[in-house]
Amino acid sequence: MSNLHPQQRPDTFQNSSSQRSISSNSWRASVDFGSKGVRHGSRSGNDSEGFSMSRREINDDDARLVYVNDPLKTNEMFEFAGNSIRTGKYSVITFLPRNLFEQFHRVAYMYFLIIAVLNQLPQLAVFGRGASILPLASVLFVTAVKDAYEDWRRHKSDKIENNRMASVLVNDRFELKKWKDIQVGEVVKISADETIPCDIVLLSTSDPTGVAYVQTINLDGESNLKTRYAKQETLSRIPEKDIISGLIKCEKPNRNIYGFQANMEIDGKRVSLGPSNIILRGCVIKNTDWAVGVAVYAGRETKAMLNNSGAPSKRSRLETHMNQEIMLLSFFLVTLCVVVSACAGVWLRRHQDELDLMPFYRRKDYSEGKVENYNYYGLGMEIFFSFLMSVIVFQIMIPISLYISMELVRVGQAYFMIRDDRMFDASSNTRFQCRALNINEDLGQIKYVFSDKTGTLTENKMEFQFASIAGVDYSGEKTEVYVEQGGYNIQVDGQVWRPKVKVQVDPKLLQLSKTLNDTKSSKEIYDFFLALAACNTIVPIVVNSSNPNEKLIDYQGESPDEQALVYAAAAYGFMLIERTSGHIVIDIQGERQRFNVLGMHEFDSDRKRMSVILGYPDSTVKVFVKGADTSMFKIIDESLNLDVVRATEAHLHSYSSVGLRTLVVGMRALSVSEFDTWQTSYEIASTALMGRAGLLRKVAINLENNLTLLGASAIEDRLQKGVPEAIESLRKANMKVWVLTGDKQETAISIGYSSRLLTSKMSQIVINNNSKMSCKKSLEDALITCKKLIDVTSATDDDASSVALIIDGTSLVYILDTELEEQLFELASKCAVVLCCRVAPLQKAGIVALIKNRTDDMTLAIGDGANDVSMIQMADVGVGISGQEGRQAVMASDFAMGQFRFLVPLLLVHGHWNYQRMAYMILYNFYRNALFVLVLFWYVLYTGFTLTTAITEWSSVLYSIIYTAVPTIVIGILDKDLSRKSLMAYPQLYGSGQRKESYNLKLFWVTMVDTLWQSVVAFFIPVLAYWKSDIDSSSLGDLWTLAVVFMVNIHLAMDVIRWTWLSHASIWGSIIATCICVIIIDAIPVLPGYWAIFILGSSGLFWICLFGILVASMIPRFVVKMFMQHCKPCDIQIAREAEKFRNSMEVTRSGEIEMHR
Amino acid sequence: MDEALRTKPSSRKPKYSRFTQQELPAWKPILTPKWFITSFVTIAILFTPAGLLCLWASEHVVEIVDRYDDDCLPDSYATNPETFIQSKNTNKTCVRTLKIPRKMTAPIFIYYQLDNFYQNHRRYVKSRSEKQLRDPDDEDETDDCKPIENLNGNEGGPIVPCGLVAWSLFNDTYKFFKGNKVIDIDKKNIAWESDKKYKFGSEVYPKNFQKEGLIGGGQLDESKPLSEQENLIVWMKTAALPTFRKLYGRINTDLEANETITIVIQNNYNTYEFGGEKKVALSTANWIGGKNDFFGISFLAIGGVCFFVAITFILLYVFKPRPPGDPTYLSWNRNQPAQ
Repeated sequence: MSNLHPQQRPDTFQNSSSQRSISSNSWRASVDFGSKGVRHGSRSGNDSEGFSMSRREINDDDARLVYVNDPLKTNEMFEFAGNSIRTGKYSVITFLPRNLFEQFHRVAYMYFLIIAVLNQLPQLAVFGRGASILPLASVLFVTAVKDAYEDWRRHKSDKIENNRMASVLVNDRFELKKWKDIQVGEVVKISADETIPCDIVLLSTSDPTGVAYVQTINLDGESNLKTRYAKQETLSRIPEKDIISGLIKCEKPNRNIYGFQANMEIDGKRVSLGPSNIILRGCVIKNTDWAVGVAVYAGRETKAMLNNSGAPSKRSRLETHMNQEIMLLSFFLVTLCVVVSACAGVWLRRHQDELDLMPFYRRKDYSEGKVENYNYYGLGMEIFFSFLMSVIVFQIMIPISLYISMELVRVGQAYFMIRDDRMFDASSNTRFQCRALNINEDLGQIKYVFSDKTGTLTENKMEFQFASIAGVDYSGEKTEVYVEQGGYNIQVDGQVWRPKVKVQVDPKLLQLSKTLNDTKSSKEIYDFFLALAACNTIVPIVVNSSNPNEKLIDYQGESPDEQALVYAAAAYGFMLIERTSGHIVIDIQGERQRFNVLGMHEFDSDRKRMSVILGYPDSTVKVFVKGADTSMFKIIDESLNLDVVRATEAHLHSYSSVGLRTLVVGMRALSVSEFDTWQTSYEIASTALMGRAGLLRKVAINLENNLTLLGASAIEDRLQKGVPEAIESLRKANMKVWVLTGDKQETAISIGYSSRLLTSKMSQIVINNNSKMSCKKSLEDALITCKKLIDVTSATDDDASSVALIIDGTSLVYILDTELEEQLFELASKCAVVLCCRVAPLQKAGIVALIKNRTDDMTLAIGDGANDVSMIQMADVGVGISGQEGRQAVMASDFAMGQFRFLVPLLLVHGHWNYQRMAYMILYNFYRNALFVLVLFWYVLYTGFTLTTAITEWSSVLYSIIYTAVPTIVIGILDKDLSRKSLMAYPQLYGSGQRKESYNLKLFWVTMVDTLWQSVVAFFIPVLAYWKSDIDSSSLGDLWTLAVVFMVNIHLAMDVIRWTWLSHASIWGSIIATCICVIIIDAIPVLPGYWAIFILGSSGLFWICLFGILVASMIPRFVVKMFMQHCKPCDIQIAREAEKFRNSMEVTRSGEIEMHR
Repeated sequence: MDEALRTKPSSRKPKYSRFTQQELPAWKPILTPKWFITSFVTIAILFTPAGLLCLWASEHVVEIVDRYDDDCLPDSYATNPETFIQSKNTNKTCVRTLKIPRKMTAPIFIYYQLDNFYQNHRRYVKSRSEKQLRDPDDEDETDDCKPIENLNGNEGGPIVPCGLVAWSLFNDTYKFFKGNKVIDIDKKNIAWESDKKYKFGSEVYPKNFQKEGLIGGGQLDESKPLSEQENLIVWMKTAALPTFRKLYGRINTDLEANETITIVIQNNYNTYEFGGEKKVALSTANWIGGKNDFFGISFLAIGGVCFFVAITFILLYVFKPRPPGDPTYLSWNRNQPAQ
């Protein structure tokens, strides 16, 4: 069940700069969200900032006052929202007015409305009532039905959400209450595995130390457990008995899920509260029996709901361009109308003396005694009226129906994308999802791909691979041997407990670890695995399995690497069973041992290591340290065993060269005096009010030295299937692939190599600075280097000339949003590959914005975690990976899929098709409507400029609704210019979209010239043929109707590439439907054209005329098309020919066929 | 884990069908030079003889057109033709003699042709009541007919048929003589059957129609229902273009070449006011309709152009051939000449 609704609130991410101005603190805070905080742990540098921030006084004006357990007083002013949420837009009563109001917000509908209203004025009544309202009514109806359905679904989910139950403290007893009734200030109790109903500040938990573990999967998508704390001052109180009363002063509701500033006055003391004391709506309590907290933000003011604005509505690039051309069309429309009204004015002026009695005008009414003007308002007004009337008559010049057709086509395209079984991920059982329905065609024009690494390129399933213990490499061919009976397990109360994830083991090492004895090597193995099992922040959770006699141990933790290590240790017989804040229990080869955790120094990015101080049952104390090789070798006492160190280093090198993530483990026994010294300083540091993090770091550094090297581990974060191939395809398709990752540089680079993003031939530029000045300098240097490299190598091989830029988040802090941005852009646009490591979520968005704001190229961002949300929303197209991490990225994305490699079919195949289809459809619709309008216009010139239409008003209205609507939609959904096979085989074909080959201003003008020619043919052939004849206007109108409809359908038919039965049915069906409609219209006696079509159809002249029009109108198109194809064939054309004539080609020119570079 | 998923009944894998995978069988025509040349040569071959045929047919139509509005105006009224035409006392009879150039075989159609007469003027077209024409009970349905709706304001009752179209009924009359012998003009069946049957009621009789004073055109016989007043029906079938002909009647006897016929015209209809022209036309008809060289010329032109294009393309194809699907033309191969 997801608590997050995909509603669209359009104000989401418009203001990225103001978001970013929240300052870099929020970036850092977000990186550290929940990751540093086991109770005894040292706090890293970032935390100290948070700490000092929370000490800061909150201004009373900006504060929200929450009286703990006193909702009445809290809500006295009624300024706080209740906890019910409402994401539906309409109710039954408000639906009609509100929906209409919203629909008319769209310019297109306003246009329809104004035209329809104008037409109701008697002076301007060009069409009858019914005919004039029909287009508007049909559009409104279709949209209203769609909106109503969507809103109904929202209402349903709101209802479920609001009626969930939670237990709330009422009169000193916890009672069940519906979520919607919870108020700010109330004390809420949540049991294990329950979802938090609103944002609460923790008061106490079942854990005596006040720890609660929460899963934030619904909020930010991270599935691991995070720790939250109740404050010392409240954690011992039991709410039922011991009334807690206090005042929480916290900041106003905001969207920052990583930040919280407040203080609590309790028992006269003032306690500061920070992000680690608040649990947000949507989180789930895990591994904690119960937690009690006070609601501070409820309902729509919760951080989850404030963040829950869904994807911002995006407009496709094609549509933006199309709107410019529509402006041109409106200009044409105005021109036509001006011409008509001016001519009408001139005509009236020239005949002004004759108007009174002219048999076909009759200005004056003589029927009554008094002669007065009849229906004549003076020259000026007449001109004005004829202008408005011509707008009504020529209204479809602006192809409003195109907007509706486009929506329908996109729905159809989305259907095919969703149903594509090559984009179905069997491992997570997820289909492709189309969340945004208005940017399908953007997928065909992508130039930049920004990708997250972990979970997007990789599976985010860390797997322990190799170990090097005391200089011995255990990387045997273990892949073949799978542990019999599902690996290591232990017996507990007659039940079998086994780790949830099975790990492949090295049989030799397994054998050694099973037979532990007193030899030195055996001891080393013991220490190594003990370190793996103990030196982490993993929490084991026992879960039921399908087998009642078997329980699984699920290791929960923030770092997937640590999880992998603990699973590995378990597989070798060192199974972590229990962890509390004070001790851990490890089952070592069937024997349970309890170790006291005396202290822990958490990982921080300066030390790049963590350590844990373990008290053995025999009261010896040892410190275990685990960390990155660079930081570990500095503190290892090499004198102890130089050979081992050298061997390990060699092993590490070989591991990392195959893209594995390595960690080094060391250990040192502490003497009593050492321990005492440490403990004293640790106590002082961890209770310090100011600069706690720095003090703790100092303590850690003092402790972590002179270590004995235990060994090293190698973990593989496996690349997802097909990633290297996918990246290669994308790069071949001339897309620039940037990887933005929170990982460290080394890992990023190694993944870069294994995913074929980086090649050994590329030159790398690394920017890794700590100040603005140095950033500036390195950027300048890099630019020079880059230029040199490109100059020197440009003549030679392609790959060698390409430059890879590697830049880290710290440098980006000094570059983004400053004047250095420009230089970075310049540099980055020269580089083939850009790798950004250690970047914060908002920096990711900043990088995307860097490109997006400076080029016209389309950007696509793909990611899987909450940290990718900002980037996904910033990019033109956002793609979410619905994989290991939660749904936040998917929620924010426009498209979501299971695997990175689906990006290739999505862009190269579907994107290409969508773009081609949509581009053609837009041009075709322009042509189709303009043709009709021009035919009407030419006729107006022969009617004394009075806007008579020979074509009946019903045919005018039905033209874009029935006569020509279906084929363009069907072709827009179904036509394929090239087969999937060709598109996948030659990614370069994607270039046509990037180069905007199918829709550009030149094509627009060509289309318009063609339209002009066709309209001239369609109009003047009948006029010349029937000049001086006794033809009546209805017959001629029918001829024009049929001619135009045949023309536009045959025009379309000439451009269709794949004729499926559906294309046949729609095109020929439309022609038949038109004939039927014309016949029906002409069979209604009250209409002027009664029986005209039958009389007309029986004359040979009509058929000759029709045939002549069709041939003459299509000739120029046909000729130009053929000559262009022959002399300047586009890639698509050649590929299509190759597709069609492949067999013959391979016979005649075998060996030479090499479409690859 | 994979196996568990595979056996899971609720796999969401889209069901395969050729439709959902966009692999419906399809005909994939492609525009090849061969195709192109064939079609253009075909068009040329079709259109050239067709054009000749049309010209030939048009040539066989005999048509005599005589403009008489100027000539039927007595010289004394040359400066103010309106006075002449509006006056009741002027003699409007006018005699025209025409020579038949070639033999005209019956039926010979007599048309009157009006130039610069905008029967397709919006106001004019709208100024009629279909309901009133059809049904005697709907004679009050005159909303669209303003200002020609009611006689003398509201007291006089509705005009049937109302509106400008009927009011401006063409009222010149023609009498044809061969020597002194009258040539019979058949004025029956000049209107569409459908109009007579359904649009103009056989129960609807003209009422309050123009008689004297300020009139717009012809008068109607109040004893005949509208469905039998075929000249009105023809007139009310509004013409599409400002220069138009309307059938006046038919001569069912042949007219020999070089015969002289005399037309006695009652020049009643006022076209002087707006600079219109009046003509009388005699024409035979065949499958192409009346005399019309346009199709012949344009078809010949189309045929010629197609032939020319086909030849040009053949030359291009011979001197600068491009094998279909030649990869050297691909943009990414073109930019980098072969290594």
